[in-house]
Amino acid sequence: MGTGGTQTKQRRWFVNSVVVVGAFILVANPLYLSSYGEGLMTRFLIFALFAMSYDIVFGYAGLLSLGHAAFFGAGGYTVALLKLHFGVDLFWISAPFGLLVAVLTAALFGIIALRASGIYFLLVTFALGQMLFSLAWNVKWLNSKGMQGITGITLPDLAIPGFTLDSTWYYYMVLIFFVISGMLLYRLVHSPYGLALMGIREDVSRMEAVGYNTWLYKYIAFVISGAFAGIAGILFTYYNFFVSPNHLGIATSFLPMVMTIMGGLGTLFGPVIGAAVFIFVENYASIFAPQRWPLILGGLFVISIMFARDGIGVYLWRLLNKVTQGYGSIKN
Amino acid sequence: MNDLSFSVNAGERLAIIGPNGAGKTSLFNLINGQFSATAGQIYFFGENVTDLPTHRRAYLGMARAFQIISLLMKLTVLDNALLTIHGTKPHRYKMLHPVKEFKDVFEKTKHSLKTLDLWEKRDELVKNLAYGEQRRLEIGLGLAMQPKLLLLDEPSAGLTREESSDIIEIIKNLGEGITALIVDHDMDVVFEVAERIIVLHYGQIIADGPPESIQNDQMVREIYMGAEECLDPVNI
Amino acid sequence: MDWFVINLLNGMSYGMILFLIASGMSIVLGAMGITNLAHGAIYMVGAFVGWTVAVKWGAPFWVGVLSGGLSAGLVGLAIERGLLRRLYKKPNEQVLLTFGFVYILSNLCLWVWGGWPRMPFTAKFLTGSTEIMGRAFPKARLAIILAGFILAIALWWLQDKTRMGAIVRAGMDDKETAMGLGINLELTFAVIFFVSSFIAGAAGVIGAQLLGVRTDLGLEVLLLALIVIIVGGVGSIQGALLGGILIGVIDAFGRAVFPQLAMFTMYLTMIVILIVRPTGLLGRKI
Repeated sequence: MGTGGTQTKQRRWFVNSVVVVGAFILVANPLYLSSYGEGLMTRFLIFALFAMSYDIVFGYAGLLSLGHAAFFGAGGYTVALLKLHFGVDLFWISAPFGLLVAVLTAALFGIIALRASGIYFLLVTFALGQMLFSLAWNVKWLNSKGMQGITGITLPDLAIPGFTLDSTWYYYMVLIFFVISGMLLYRLVHSPYGLALMGIREDVSRMEAVGYNTWLYKYIAFVISGAFAGIAGILFTYYNFFVSPNHLGIATSFLPMVMTIMGGLGTLFGPVIGAAVFIFVENYASIFAPQRWPLILGGLFVISIMFARDGIGVYLWRLLNKVTQGYGSIKN
Repeated sequence: MNDLSFSVNAGERLAIIGPNGAGKTSLFNLINGQFSATAGQIYFFGENVTDLPTHRRAYLGMARAFQIISLLMKLTVLDNALLTIHGTKPHRYKMLHPVKEFKDVFEKTKHSLKTLDLWEKRDELVKNLAYGEQRRLEIGLGLAMQPKLLLLDEPSAGLTREESSDIIEIIKNLGEGITALIVDHDMDVVFEVAERIIVLHYGQIIADGPPESIQNDQMVREIYMGAEECLDPVNI
Repeated sequence: MDWFVINLLNGMSYGMILFLIASGMSIVLGAMGITNLAHGAIYMVGAFVGWTVAVKWGAPFWVGVLSGGLSAGLVGLAIERGLLRRLYKKPNEQVLLTFGFVYILSNLCLWVWGGWPRMPFTAKFLTGSTEIMGRAFPKARLAIILAGFILAIALWWLQDKTRMGAIVRAGMDDKETAMGLGINLELTFAVIFFVSSFIAGAAGVIGAQLLGVRTDLGLEVLLLALIVIIVGGVGSIQGALLGGILIGVIDAFGRAVFPQLAMFTMYLTMIVILIVRPTGLLGRKI
């Protein structure tokens, strides 16, 4: 995508109107959705953020990581542990700490993982993620008494006098984080750094020969994507009221992979679309065939790879291009 | 490389020739930093660059056009150009502002592409360009880096006579500020542009001198006897 | 002294299973460039089929091993022929595809066999213990060590001494030239993938004694294989063997001395190797 070329007026108009309509829907949601639907939308936004963060490291930097949930879970567990052991409810303490832990984890794992390239990177990120899973499973201090995981998490305290969060307000809070993160990531991928990242994804030796310290770029991408995964993890923990070792392991790492592949790698809207599809299918699978959910998920994933390799989102984008170009030529 | 040692003068046009497998591309890889030297030293304008990674050497002023075109095929011409020109600029790390906002780089890129006659095709994916255009772009971008040393690895490979003479013109017009090392099999190109020629064979230098003396060198003629290239493009 | 020997033998028997699992994956990775993340799930399929044949139907153990291997081999072959082959030269897609199959195969096994774990089982004549240095040691584990060594020698012989092995090594180094020489690379790849999956499935039955038969084996076994490959290096039988035994023994002693550390000795070893020698102890550069 890069600089996106010189876009036709029509396409810009179309994209802008989609964004406006989408924004309107997202803001108006609680007015007509049941609390169940609201919960689904909250979940969607959190996963969309998680998926976008994964797209940075895989779609843009080209690094296939199998342990992305490590940062998601690190953020979540920090919040949960602060509540469990120190009774901290204040968002303005928990969240920054959670983000810090996620970033430090990514910084550490990045150094270990980037010593390896290609295949090994994959294997190492997987193993590191599972190591955290193992830690969370075995270390008593990381669990509520007598169980796996940490319970008893409630919506955070925002320290605004006379105001307590309820699930609807929390939805808006998540929406705000989603929008801000989206904007930051948008700027990131359209910046010189973002362009360089794409170049590195395509051909490392060329980028080196042209003056880019490719290792550093990859490392930064790894850490940034870990940071945003951490934010998603923090938001998720408050939504879920519960965090478990699974949120650190491959079961959760797999999710943003599916969403980005289904929706379209290397774009920012792809993961969002992928997340939407995922939530939709997950919801109906849990109602009609809960036992077969992994099978459905795996099957969807395999089908996406075989037949819709660039993702649904990208196909829609190409369709849009064709339509607007056609319109443009008719005008001429 | 077999106990190889030579120096290049600033502003020189030095061609490196030799039969296949002589080590020409390997030599470039060593100069460029793509290969690490197991022994010996490399100095670049007085600075010891032997242990520096490739991107540091690029920053110090080395540019390279590869034997197999190594532009970013799936990106557009414009993106390739922007990336190359940004490569040695500090704001290539900037994360919060769109690329287009960096006016000076953008103007430079526009200028370069217009000089290369590729501005019109800036939104084309590089893989959709004709081979000759890709070659032109790669060399042109190497120049746009404003290097002190330009390494041209088989710049005329796969080009038509006409396209080759375009390349020859580009090399001739490089100016004094740029030193050029050229590896090529096309003797027309070599003898047109080179002030000095080094002949490599099995990683060793077997001849080093101006074009006329190379042409007449006995050992060089022997080595090339079996090869298709003709050392004397005009007379034989 | 006897404590040392017992733990060493425990470690070696576990290590042999790890070797068997990792060897198939490592060969496919080195020869075909495919990271088959479904390898653990294929192991699991073999284990379940072997259980059905040897325990539920009461057939002899070796028949169970063979059927486990065969079924696993067929599953692997189907994935390779049907899908992976179409993703030639797209390594990321290949990896992702195999990963999708972890979920598919795990859930299918759950569907067919149900979620209750099966008891560890082995050949009738191998039940019970024998005495080693005054302590009781399960016969089955000794058999595993022996079986592992035999298989290691057989595979090493295949790799280094046969034409097939030479083809595989040639294919590893230069695909185009190998094809240009008239070697049927398609067939070779199919055979390699089949054999790799066969070994995994057979290992699933042999290893049932140690790892059990469960539907969550897919990821667990994959993780073990990956750690062994990271430590031992990719692409060779020797690497898988060294990595497997090393990890197995380290794990055994780790659990004996610090039982609460569980798998961390393995992780630690992996991290040390990554820092000190990123391509693994005997790894070929891919």
